Amino acid sequence: MSINRRKAMLVLLVLAVSFLLCILIAGVLNTDAAMKTDFTRKNQPPSLRYPFGTDWMGRDMFARTIAGLSMSIRIGLLTATISALIAFALGSAAAVMGKTVDIFIGWLIDLVMGIPHILLLMLISFACGKGFRGIVIGILCTHWMSLARVIRGEVLQLKQSGYVQVAAKLGTGRLRIVTRHMLPHLVPQFMVGLILLFPHAILHEASITFLGFGLSPEQPAIGVILSESIRYLLTGSWWLAVFPGISLSLIVILFDYIGGMARKLLDPASAHE
Amino acid sequence: MKRIAVSVAVWLMLLTVLEGCGKQTGSSDVFGRDNAQKDSVIIAMGVNSEPEAGFDPAYGWGAGEHVHEPLIQSTLTVTTNDLQIAYDLAKDVSVSEDGLLWTVKIRDDVFFTDGEKLTAEDVAFTYNTVKGESSVNDFTMLDQAQAVDDTTVEFHMIKPYSIWPYTMSIVGIVPEHAYWPDYGQHPIGSGRYMLKQWDKGQQIILEANPIYYGDEILMKKVTIVFMEEQAAFAAVKAGQVDLSYTAASYSDQTVEGYELLSFETVDNRGFNLPAVPSDGGIGNDVTSDIAIRKAINMGIDREQMIDNVLNGYGTPAYSVCDKMPWFNADTVTACDFEGAIALLEDSGWVAGDDGIRVKDGLRAEINILYPVSDSIRQALAADSSNQLEALGIDATIEGVGWDIAYERAQSEVMTWGWGAHTPMELYNIYHTMSETGLAEYSPYANEKVDAYMDRALASSNLEEAYALWQKAQWDGTTGTSLDLPWVWLVNIDHLYWSREGLQVAQQKIHPHGHGWSIVNNVDRWSWVQ
Repeated sequence: MSINRRKAMLVLLVLAVSFLLCILIAGVLNTDAAMKTDFTRKNQPPSLRYPFGTDWMGRDMFARTIAGLSMSIRIGLLTATISALIAFALGSAAAVMGKTVDIFIGWLIDLVMGIPHILLLMLISFACGKGFRGIVIGILCTHWMSLARVIRGEVLQLKQSGYVQVAAKLGTGRLRIVTRHMLPHLVPQFMVGLILLFPHAILHEASITFLGFGLSPEQPAIGVILSESIRYLLTGSWWLAVFPGISLSLIVILFDYIGGMARKLLDPASAHE
Repeated sequence: MKRIAVSVAVWLMLLTVLEGCGKQTGSSDVFGRDNAQKDSVIIAMGVNSEPEAGFDPAYGWGAGEHVHEPLIQSTLTVTTNDLQIAYDLAKDVSVSEDGLLWTVKIRDDVFFTDGEKLTAEDVAFTYNTVKGESSVNDFTMLDQAQAVDDTTVEFHMIKPYSIWPYTMSIVGIVPEHAYWPDYGQHPIGSGRYMLKQWDKGQQIILEANPIYYGDEILMKKVTIVFMEEQAAFAAVKAGQVDLSYTAASYSDQTVEGYELLSFETVDNRGFNLPAVPSDGGIGNDVTSDIAIRKAINMGIDREQMIDNVLNGYGTPAYSVCDKMPWFNADTVTACDFEGAIALLEDSGWVAGDDGIRVKDGLRAEINILYPVSDSIRQALAADSSNQLEALGIDATIEGVGWDIAYERAQSEVMTWGWGAHTPMELYNIYHTMSETGLAEYSPYANEKVDAYMDRALASSNLEEAYALWQKAQWDGTTGTSLDLPWVWLVNIDHLYWSREGLQVAQQKIHPHGHGWSIVNNVDRWSWVQ
């Protein structure tokens, strides 16, 4: 049986998404095991029983890493989706609601992008009391600008296209023009932008947690795990950083890969770029 | 594929760098110190030990949250190794019958390092200044200090304060003629050392005072570098420092050319148990039950906790002042797990289906807070949680910042660290405040305990005061050790990596704060071949 590239890509996409879903669900079901301390098994190197070893409080690093990745994926999904929706709303508004609104949203984008990303994220997270809420609000406020610019440009371009102008001349209503003629063209850009926001959000979640402005230390989060591991690297506990670090990299690469595949599937012309 | 290759390369680089860090050895000294020069020492302290506000007692130097001898300045009194009072500048200390007037005679052969003579005027100026300026220590009991003549100073008190000699042991005397707004940056004193150099964020260099009035200073130059814990350990492995603070997590390591020193402390860790029922954001319904508090105190195995969390480097804590002259040894509680279970059963706390006890519909569940920046307190909270689960008490743990910790501790359990060379610590923790009628850090009130501490402060005799402080802890019928608004867990040994050949002089029991206490007597340290 021959499988064309499109089908192969779809299979890979389904596999990648399934893998991420497995980690997401395993982490949610595994939170108690990830937080369980047992001082009788502390600082154990990787073994069959503890594939990623144990830490200084005897926590199972495999369970902790899975739960951490799950937490990252949850935060990534939540923040990327809402950020993309904010970007869609503001980008569209800038394009269709007149010059004043366009100038204001442009100014807002410049303002937020003008402040160093990680600094703004830390400030917002701290001001919102850190933790899950602080991180989510922080990422939401700092990850919508690039996609908003793309959406704005797309909408402006669509407004000038012949079929939209003809539809308007024929008396088609604004709402119908947007839903019937514009949205189908925006969906691929929106979806790809949304998927590519995931790895960005996950890395930033891990970064600010690593710096102490994110999740609380008892939480199983990759940023917490990496931050704590620094103290023990000099004592030879390399497994505390290596496995969670590589796992985080893999998840980010996987999301990036899914984004690339989704782009090719939704916008086949991009495959020739 | 390219991304994967880059990612793998980054990880390999990281591992290589870490491996490289771990293998640094040898005795080369990046600080340029000649190892043959045996009257100097390089000490690594934590970054929090660097005095941000400088070396001014008014802003916490020596007399701050973590008390220690000020080194650059002299003090009127000093504490001995067994925490009794001895004299430094003072030649005689007396107090009036009503405890409201302290008279101190001082030496007349003491000079500041700029050559000016130290007089009673300087002493009075210092105390009036710290009373007016200090925001890190309490001087509200002092009305004013007055120089009667060149060698006599009087302290007029607002209220009797029997432990004034302990306060006099941490306040460094500053020169009135050279006390400017930036005194803390360029201090002049009459103590054992002079500040030679301060590279902020990096190091402080102290040099022996050539006109010091006391015994000969053996260690002529003391360099103190400020480092994070892991950096300090790396510096030890690289042979760059002579003595470095370290944590229990590194205690199972060995470093060639170094030995691990362990010093007893009163640097205790414990948690508060709000002793009043929940009402308006204050109090806790579970911990306000005395049976719960007693069961926790009896049921926790402190020795096991020390092995688990501190690798054995600690001692069980039963009060905020273990081993101090004012500690009541009758308050020591042996671990009795079965007794704790029986107590809970007898008090109506019955185990539910999930093993957690319930009484009148109230589940025995508490949330133990710990400061996010402190991994030891996190581990103690986690171990406490495990041990309490065995008692049938569901204890979750949560890391919080200090910005909200104080407020939340009014209704929740918080892991604290205390321990000072003054009985005032007892007063600060257990005595009620007039505004609320409850103690400051965790809601609790006992009139008899208050009365004992008030009498102890009003006493004109230190020995008599000690006895009263002890009664506040336990007088045979009541006391803080019966009410248990706090449960004390461990006293953490202060650990140091010391280069072989360095003779660290005998230490008095270290107070809370793993910092400057170690150098209280650095002038007596020496090297042996």
